[in-house]
Amino acid sequence: MPEHHRRTATRGIKHRMRRRFESWVNRRIPPARAVTLDQKRIFIFPSRTGLFFALCLLVMLTAAVNYQNNMSFALTFLLATLFIVGILHTYANLSGLTIRALRANPVFPGQHTEFAVQVERSGKREHFALHLKWPESTESLVNLCEQDTVQVQLHMPVGKRGWYSPGRLLLESTYPLGLLRSWTWIDLDLYAMVYPRPLPSTELPGLATDRPEGAAIPIAGSDDFYGFRDYRHGDSLRQIHWKGLARGQGVQTKQYGAYASRSVWLDWDMFPGLGTEQRLSHLCYWALEFEGRNEEYGLRLPGLVIEPGLGGRHRDRVLQALALYGVERRPQ
Amino acid sequence: MKPDQQIPRNALAWIILSLFTLVAPHVERIPFWVLAVYVFAAAWRIMVFRGRWSFPGRWVKAGLIISSFAGIYFSYGSIIGLEPTIALLLTAFALKLIELAQRKDGYVLLFLGYFICITEFLFSQDLPIVLYSLLNVTLVTTALVAMHRPGEHQFNRKTIRLAAVMLLQALPLMLVLFFLFPRIGPLWSVPIKSHTAKTGVSDFMRPGDISRLGKSDEVAFRVQFEGDIPNPADLYWRGLVMSRLEEGAWRSLRYFDVPAAERRPRPVQTSGAALDYQVIIAPTQQHWLYSLRYATPASPGIMTSPDYVLFTPAEIEDERLYRVRSWPEAQLELTLSDYRRGVELQLPPTENPATTAFARELYEQANNPRAFVDAVLARFTQEAFSYTLNPPLLPEDNPLDAFMFQTRTGFCEHYAAAFVVMMRAAGVPARVVAGYQGGEVNPLNRTVIVHQFDAHAWAEVWLDGEGWVRIDPTASVSPDRIEWGLERALEKEGSFLSDSPLSLMRYRGVAWLNILRLRYDALTYRWQSWVTGFNRDRQFQLLNDVFDGISARKFVLVLIGTWLLVLLPIAFSLLRRRDKHPLPAQDKYYLQFCQRMAALGFVRAPGETADAFCARICRALPGMATDVREITTLYCGVAYAAQARPGDEATQQLKRAVARFRPAKVIGFDRQRA
Repeated sequence: MPEHHRRTATRGIKHRMRRRFESWVNRRIPPARAVTLDQKRIFIFPSRTGLFFALCLLVMLTAAVNYQNNMSFALTFLLATLFIVGILHTYANLSGLTIRALRANPVFPGQHTEFAVQVERSGKREHFALHLKWPESTESLVNLCEQDTVQVQLHMPVGKRGWYSPGRLLLESTYPLGLLRSWTWIDLDLYAMVYPRPLPSTELPGLATDRPEGAAIPIAGSDDFYGFRDYRHGDSLRQIHWKGLARGQGVQTKQYGAYASRSVWLDWDMFPGLGTEQRLSHLCYWALEFEGRNEEYGLRLPGLVIEPGLGGRHRDRVLQALALYGVERRPQ
Repeated sequence: MKPDQQIPRNALAWIILSLFTLVAPHVERIPFWVLAVYVFAAAWRIMVFRGRWSFPGRWVKAGLIISSFAGIYFSYGSIIGLEPTIALLLTAFALKLIELAQRKDGYVLLFLGYFICITEFLFSQDLPIVLYSLLNVTLVTTALVAMHRPGEHQFNRKTIRLAAVMLLQALPLMLVLFFLFPRIGPLWSVPIKSHTAKTGVSDFMRPGDISRLGKSDEVAFRVQFEGDIPNPADLYWRGLVMSRLEEGAWRSLRYFDVPAAERRPRPVQTSGAALDYQVIIAPTQQHWLYSLRYATPASPGIMTSPDYVLFTPAEIEDERLYRVRSWPEAQLELTLSDYRRGVELQLPPTENPATTAFARELYEQANNPRAFVDAVLARFTQEAFSYTLNPPLLPEDNPLDAFMFQTRTGFCEHYAAAFVVMMRAAGVPARVVAGYQGGEVNPLNRTVIVHQFDAHAWAEVWLDGEGWVRIDPTASVSPDRIEWGLERALEKEGSFLSDSPLSLMRYRGVAWLNILRLRYDALTYRWQSWVTGFNRDRQFQLLNDVFDGISARKFVLVLIGTWLLVLLPIAFSLLRRRDKHPLPAQDKYYLQFCQRMAALGFVRAPGETADAFCARICRALPGMATDVREITTLYCGVAYAAQARPGDEATQQLKRAVARFRPAKVIGFDRQRA
């Protein structure tokens, strides 16, 4: 159908133009963790308000011409040249700023992650109404008046597992007159790690029959004493080893069986016949499950083994391995 | 609402302030209730800001708009015309404040504010108004800047400073544009000032009309002669020639009253020396221009009437500058056409019988026109005629009979009218001329200032072989009026500007006040001549003088060149990198101290602490130990104290201690002791 063809053709042109534009911007403002804004990186153009203002000036000029009124001419010209001077001031509001990537929090799909950047000024000039936004993120409006730096947190929903790229950060400002908009698009080389979506499976297949080597037998019951450790704030008074305290051994807490460790191996091969993403999702679910149960767990993926462990850092390692499985490196 | 769409509290305050300063100069020509709308709108918006009231609903807004339209209609009787339109604009400006919720509303409001500045210029372009408008523009710009400073809720001097700085930077660019921008004629006709009173001499003169002008000290026009200023007694500024007497009033011939063949002025043989001068006339809302006879226009767009008066087709609505060349000795209309003669002899047949009879009697005695003129003038001199600004009211019927034989007191128009009636009664063609006589010479810029109280009426008589001859009967009654002006003529009566006790003209005796007034007048003249009177001719002349001819290429080069000259330094000062972290004050002072020590050979080693350096100096030079210890203690106190701030007391102490510290002197002392 010719109609359809035409549409695809225009879409193709648009796509190509967008690609060319992106590569041009990439060459002009290459990705970097910190970008200082200078002539090469700041764009400036009249804002919509500026165009409205120009229209108003045209009306004023018409009045001046029709009434042959010199002071009206003068005022119209004064405002027109204010617009010209405004170019420099609007430009100066972004010039010399440094935007630094701070961090991006890892997150599960469907949740919002937080990207943090820092805006610094060089010199003592006040910068106002700096508007920051990634294409999909919340927006933020900051000033740099008394302090030299300001941190900005922007939130946005993430996509699928792997590295999530927020795109180019838009920093724009219309200060001081609102008639002009100066802006920049910067790639801060900042990515958020997206974990697999946790997907429950009824039970851990193969855990009983195909028990991985080295797994500890679970200790039943929570009444069996198995050792002491140093008192920590929050331990129950009933569990304090009072006799030892009396003997001058310091404050110690008696530990019971429920906290005894048991190692589980979460294995890539536990889910035969499933797709990569589904496997990772199940593994992710069980990793979180064992973490919640306070049971030690390890991870075996093709080409990667994480020894059993427990705790926040271990969990992050496991989740990171799951998030980045098959993802070669940060996208460029 | 998006965060960048909110209007900070500061911006709201600036907006409300500029709203009131913008409406202030319009107060004299808007109905009082419009001001009430301003107060009401401001109060409502402040209540909205405080969270007590809410923004108006759609119906309330519609009601406000309809009622303001109705109000304007009832106040002016129409909504068409310049004044009603501006009043409507001003009302809309106030109402917009009530619904000012987002930044985009703010833009509409503030751009409207700029436009309101322009509407003020349509009524006056005087220097005080222009300066005041500049303040208004600064306030509106400040409000615009304040709208873009989110989260600023305290008054901040820097906001208005930035606005002022930007306007100052724009000013030179504006001047270039002002003088270079091509002045084109009006694109279409525009509503005119329908409600402004016509000022100055009118084309309709009844006894008492000119004496009313005699009470006003406003400036009618200012004149600058190219050569010497003629004697003020000879300055008869002709404005109107009045040839018709109808129902006791004199008026000029209308264009269509005159047959087509008589509509062009008869050619005049010029003779003697010419006077070149430039006149800047205040708006009169009338057509005629004032000049010395015989006047030929030297500016375009001016025409000459058959009675040799200059006029413009359009009413004079703004200050207008025109140039004239006059030939005072030229003789006007040596031969009189039959039509002219008929017009200039016309008299209502039955009016003023006593006066006309008396004139005929006098003419028979004199027997020739010239002698008759002298006889009438002698009459005015010899009889008990007196000159007054407050003449008694004359009866409706035969007023001149009452004037000539009973009251015998009058202002110039009484004498001129009586004189012309007597001439015509005796068969001598004559007419009344209205205009101004004399003027005040401003010694500071050699201009002649003609005030409204210089308004005058005199007569012209046609004599065979001489043409139209000027006769001023007032000169016979009150020679002082012509020689010295109205103030001197009314000295005894004490009526000069008696209704305006604050008029500066009354205090011409106070030297410093008079100098101040003349200085201001000279400034006004310069302003009107160069700025408000700048038009296509002056532009052409200026560009020709400065750039030696104009071409499109030169125009663009000059524009770009001058703009770059201004913009580049601004760009440089804005964009240059400053020191990232300027040295704290205390470090600066301590380094000064170190420099002074280094001059004596005590260089602080890298890594040497202030205390160690101090100890080293004290060991070597015990004479200055006290000072050095004091400086070191102060410095360490400021530099390492967490709560110290630059500029506080301790830093000031350090500054003073370092300033006091003169190691060279102390060393000298040490050596002497040694």
